[in-house]
Amino acid sequence: MVVFPPTTPQEVIALILYIITSHTFITIIIFPGFIHLTLVVMFLTWYERKLLARIQLRIGPLYAGGPGGILQPIADGVKLIFKEVMIPYKADKPLFLAMPLMLVLFAALPFAVIPFGQHWVIANLEVGLVFLFAMTSLFPSMILIFAWASNSKFPFLGGLRSLFQQVAYEIPMWVAALSVVMLAGSLNLTNIVEAQSKIWFIVPAFLSFIVFFIAIMAELERLPFDLPEAEPELVAGWFTESSGAVFMVIFLGLYMKVYLMSSLVTVLFLGGWWGPAFLPQPVWFIIKTLIVATFMIIPRGVYPRLRVDMLIKTGWTRLLIIALANVFLTILLIHSGILSAWGI
Amino acid sequence: MNPWLAIVIWGVIIVLLTGPMITLPIFWSRRKPDPFRDMPFESGQVPQGEARHRLVMQYYPYLLMFVVFDVVAMFLFAWGISFTTMPLDSSFPVILFLILLAAPLGYALHLAVRKENW
Repeated sequence: MVVFPPTTPQEVIALILYIITSHTFITIIIFPGFIHLTLVVMFLTWYERKLLARIQLRIGPLYAGGPGGILQPIADGVKLIFKEVMIPYKADKPLFLAMPLMLVLFAALPFAVIPFGQHWVIANLEVGLVFLFAMTSLFPSMILIFAWASNSKFPFLGGLRSLFQQVAYEIPMWVAALSVVMLAGSLNLTNIVEAQSKIWFIVPAFLSFIVFFIAIMAELERLPFDLPEAEPELVAGWFTESSGAVFMVIFLGLYMKVYLMSSLVTVLFLGGWWGPAFLPQPVWFIIKTLIVATFMIIPRGVYPRLRVDMLIKTGWTRLLIIALANVFLTILLIHSGILSAWGI
Repeated sequence: MNPWLAIVIWGVIIVLLTGPMITLPIFWSRRKPDPFRDMPFESGQVPQGEARHRLVMQYYPYLLMFVVFDVVAMFLFAWGISFTTMPLDSSFPVILFLILLAAPLGYALHLAVRKENW
């Protein structure tokens, strides 16, 4: 019997048990929530280093326990926590320390609306996709504020580049997602996945999948679009001045965003949790997401970096036009009745 | 449970659990300030001048296009949700608008890709 406020010890225990076993608590703390995210982010840092090493015929992390040095992220984390946090003497100290936390916050908040299974979602929001885009659009602003706060030349240039990149690639990303919204008829991510029970949207919206994938590679500032952190020109770009724990928290935010965008591709185009029934839904979701993440990591070992003007020109003249053309294609597909066999 | 409340709880949990990762190391890792170690990194040189100086505003036409297309993309979402449920002739004005949009988009891109307009 759960009563509030509790008076006897039994009632306190009952209340605590009620909270811990509630669906909201489990989703927030354990499965799509904090523990799952931390583990996956740690896995992704190891996975990226290992995969890049294999592409370049190296071995990669090896000695930190487990098969293939899989405990390397823990060793890195312990090392970074005990390193000195260096803050430049002219830096804006509160902003310099607050912005990495904001980066993590805005990378992790959108996970609340990502459905990892039919009921494995923290908040089943009706305007989930818009909420997600709103949160991810704040990311470059946080980068610019962090770069401004560190009061150094390289980070400032990197932060400005990050802003330009967002200007060029935000619109193609939204318009590419618009075709999916038209096919599903909803902004709720759970409904979008349920609309793909018969056919994955990668088939009717293949062009917008290509545009969306390129645009999120630019959003995530990964090669070939990693101009904000171009090592030969800008040392380490906008996080040149970060060290120790600040660096660790920034990397937590960056890899959370990689996982977020891979899972968004899975939700919008690859049918979310749908798959043969011998594995549970969240397992299918995570397998698909990791495959998408693999395709995001591989270009880092393969492609050279673009120039700033090439990057912005590609975003506006190619991607936006392809995305707009794909909207017309979607109108044709829906109203010609080709897709009616799959219930669209 | 109200989804917005769940999002707020999730945000509070993130801040509570990641906050110590950045605030605690500052207490045990900070040694006494050193003017050379705390200098901004400029490849070993002593920094000259202001870091927050004014820069040339490049790629200005693209920024103007962003202001316009930001709004357009957002309103297209409002139309996109209800596209399958309404008949084609009621979404005809939006389609006409998108076709008409091609001319200014083409002209803006024609201006934007020319180097003297950057």
